[in-house]
Amino acid sequence: MRALCWTGVNELSVENVPDPGLLNRQDAVVKVTASSTCGSDLHLLDGYVPTMMAGDVLGHEFVGEVVETGPDVRERRVGERVTVCSIIGCGRCHYCKEGLWSLCDNSNPNPGFLETSNGHAGAAIFGYSHALGGFAGSHAEYVRVPYADVNAFPVPENVPDASAVFASDAVPTGWMGADLGEVGPGDVVAVWGCGGVGQMATLASLRMGADRVIAIDRFPERLAMAAEMGADVLDYGDVDVLEALKELTGGRGPDVCIEAVGMESHGTGAQYAYDRVKHALRLQTDRGLSLRQAIHACRKGGVVSVLGVYLGVVDKFPMGAVMNKGLTLRGAQQHGHRYIPMILDRMSKGEIDASPLLTHPMRLEDGSRGYELFKKKQDGCVRAVFRP
Amino acid sequence: MLVAGAAAVAGIALVRAARSAPPNPDGWFAVTVETEPSRLTGPDRPDELARLSERHEVRIKPAPGGRGSEIAVREADGETRDRVRKLKQLLETGEVLLVDQQPEGHRTPLGRVGVPAFRHLTRKGVR
Repeated sequence: MRALCWTGVNELSVENVPDPGLLNRQDAVVKVTASSTCGSDLHLLDGYVPTMMAGDVLGHEFVGEVVETGPDVRERRVGERVTVCSIIGCGRCHYCKEGLWSLCDNSNPNPGFLETSNGHAGAAIFGYSHALGGFAGSHAEYVRVPYADVNAFPVPENVPDASAVFASDAVPTGWMGADLGEVGPGDVVAVWGCGGVGQMATLASLRMGADRVIAIDRFPERLAMAAEMGADVLDYGDVDVLEALKELTGGRGPDVCIEAVGMESHGTGAQYAYDRVKHALRLQTDRGLSLRQAIHACRKGGVVSVLGVYLGVVDKFPMGAVMNKGLTLRGAQQHGHRYIPMILDRMSKGEIDASPLLTHPMRLEDGSRGYELFKKKQDGCVRAVFRP
Repeated sequence: MLVAGAAAVAGIALVRAARSAPPNPDGWFAVTVETEPSRLTGPDRPDELARLSERHEVRIKPAPGGRGSEIAVREADGETRDRVRKLKQLLETGEVLLVDQQPEGHRTPLGRVGVPAFRHLTRKGVR
């Protein structure tokens, strides 16, 4: 089959690779019909996530059709159209049972790296380095899905691939950001980053009854998309974000600050220059500009909800602000399984439409070009989605 | 990158070693399993647990808060820790998850050696 492989820092190629098969009795093989680029792929592409190896198949956000099932698959059927959660859960360990799916004890067969760096390993993720399980990704014609009964979700007939593909990751991740912040009526929510996840965190906050959502980015088309949903927007290139947020919230600061940027945060000024230099020299693993800003901006006693991917250590982390302002700091890789059935149901009822994120439908063969457009935010690209 | 990753693991391990006392060779490797202790003791216990008990001291006790059972194995080397993890997988999910025959593109000579080496390192540990 054809698959989009990582071949080196900022290098991709479409190659012929072996078809996946059933390795375990609870596996299914899914024929991929749409597979999205994701901002977290850029950390892999840019070489910031160690344990990538030339030849690894990328991609973790996808929808497709079940074409083969193992003998112990009970719920999924051949021919079923499914969204597959980017996070692989086993469904039986303590964490999965508690709904903390991205902390699954059993899905990552290579736990040593994360146990050493973080103390414990979490769940595996499709196409996301050998430290995160070493599972082949979804930018391919077919993908093997372990524990298929719990990781693949039937898609209602009236939900198109263009929306269902984002039920795999962007929508549940955004939803979780608002959920971890316990967003409710009367809240003012600020969202850093208007990529796919930030847009969906904005949407979720509005659906949960937030009084106001303030979306922060620098790209006009992304700010316009958030404004279209009903958010107020701030262009951090034009305004002092901390001052603007104080002004917009009567001096309090946002009740919930959702950080949807991650370890390659951009910004302005001396702090950004400092971060870029340290990051380029590998003296820190993560650039924490937007995270620091979220912590500084958050109201006393508020919640900072971290969705952006961080790998290791953040320099100049403002622990004093966290402690002295009584903040709650929450974060996780998405516990997608908690939200995906609800999200697909809402998509079916017309309450959620994620398809505006899909700005660039492309052939898998154009994968390298798709990532270039996506990474450089060219041509208004929010998400390039491949149709193998 | 894989080499960089392995170097990072080794680096972190070195820092850990420098900061703390050396691992106790008589130490225990423990996992918590979603199953009742009664399933892990007595003549009907899993075969793999019986085999582990032949060469290691094994301690089973209930986990607090209804979280199943704690299995602790003494003097567990890398191979043994891998076996304990697989036992947990088997008990909880009914199978040991395989990942070694994944679709992959062209591997460089470094990759052909590095991928199996990394898997060994991250399953059987750096200690």
